[in-house]
Amino acid sequence: MTDAKRISTLIVIWTTIITAAHLTLNVNWKVLLNDRLPEDKRKLNVAYIPVT
Amino acid sequence: MFQGFPEIKEALMSNKMQAAFMVAPMAVALRAQGVPIKIVYLGHRYGSAVVVRKDGPVKTFADLRGRTVAIPSRFSDERLILFKAARDNGMSAKELHMVEMAPPDVAGALAASAIDAFSMGEPYPSQAEMAGYGRVLFKARDYWPDYISCVLVVRQDVIDRRPDAVQLLVDGIARSGLWLEDGARRRAHREHAADFVGRYYFRQDPRLLRWALLNPEDRVKYEPLSPRKKDFELIVGLMRETGVLERDIAFEEYVDTRFAEGANGKRPWRYEAGWTKAE
Repeated sequence: MTDAKRISTLIVIWTTIITAAHLTLNVNWKVLLNDRLPEDKRKLNVAYIPVT
Repeated sequence: MFQGFPEIKEALMSNKMQAAFMVAPMAVALRAQGVPIKIVYLGHRYGSAVVVRKDGPVKTFADLRGRTVAIPSRFSDERLILFKAARDNGMSAKELHMVEMAPPDVAGALAASAIDAFSMGEPYPSQAEMAGYGRVLFKARDYWPDYISCVLVVRQDVIDRRPDAVQLLVDGIARSGLWLEDGARRRAHREHAADFVGRYYFRQDPRLLRWALLNPEDRVKYEPLSPRKKDFELIVGLMRETGVLERDIAFEEYVDTRFAEGANGKRPWRYEAGWTKAE
């Protein structure tokens, strides 16, 4: 394998890992999916701050 | 979870959030400005206090004269309680230097002596007490019986289009409140609530929330949570008097009581630590 191919492969692997980590850790799938439901089936989003 | 009330206001207005817990005067002021929301229920009663440094010079309310006091918002009951306490102590609140600060920042600011006191809801008074540098100068209940801080507001379009969902939400809060005040099980329920709310909702040390909910057990109360006209007339009156509300506003214009009425007679959740589901 040439150096160029090796570097390209590493970049692809690195990008895939970072993308997967981002999609797992930073994206709230429950909220995203909820927003796509028909309105009558959607859960209400309730905002709060950590104070009484 | 948000870190400040202004962000909640924006999220609500942009429909990112359909409902929110926010300080009562902010909800009233938004409605008075024409924002289509209504208060449908309360979050709790009491649970706010004015805290000073334990080893500091402030021993009485009069000692706050000329000092810096942090409040969560100029549209908050924590600000109004300072006006009420000042009046009862023969002072003017103008003699205090009030600064707005995000609630999570106040305990650290007091520890660092960046402020002299703060007027804030739990668990921040508990945080300062637990850490050993703060002392409660007075609790809101000392000057304001049946004190209210956070209320549940819902967008008017959601109330109009999905009243059943709003009722379900209010019923759930009513039943949770009754569960937290459930007779002989009150202490156990509050201990468990402190654990799961600390871990999964507030991201705070459960020991802190245990302090706030149990020291003493009625430090924060979760019933009655129905919005009552006389409570809000007092808030509106103080808002008008202190210059944060430009016009009189009728109770019916900013409160929709039908969901609280619908939750009357609800029973506490049947739930104990370790159960997988509440019934």
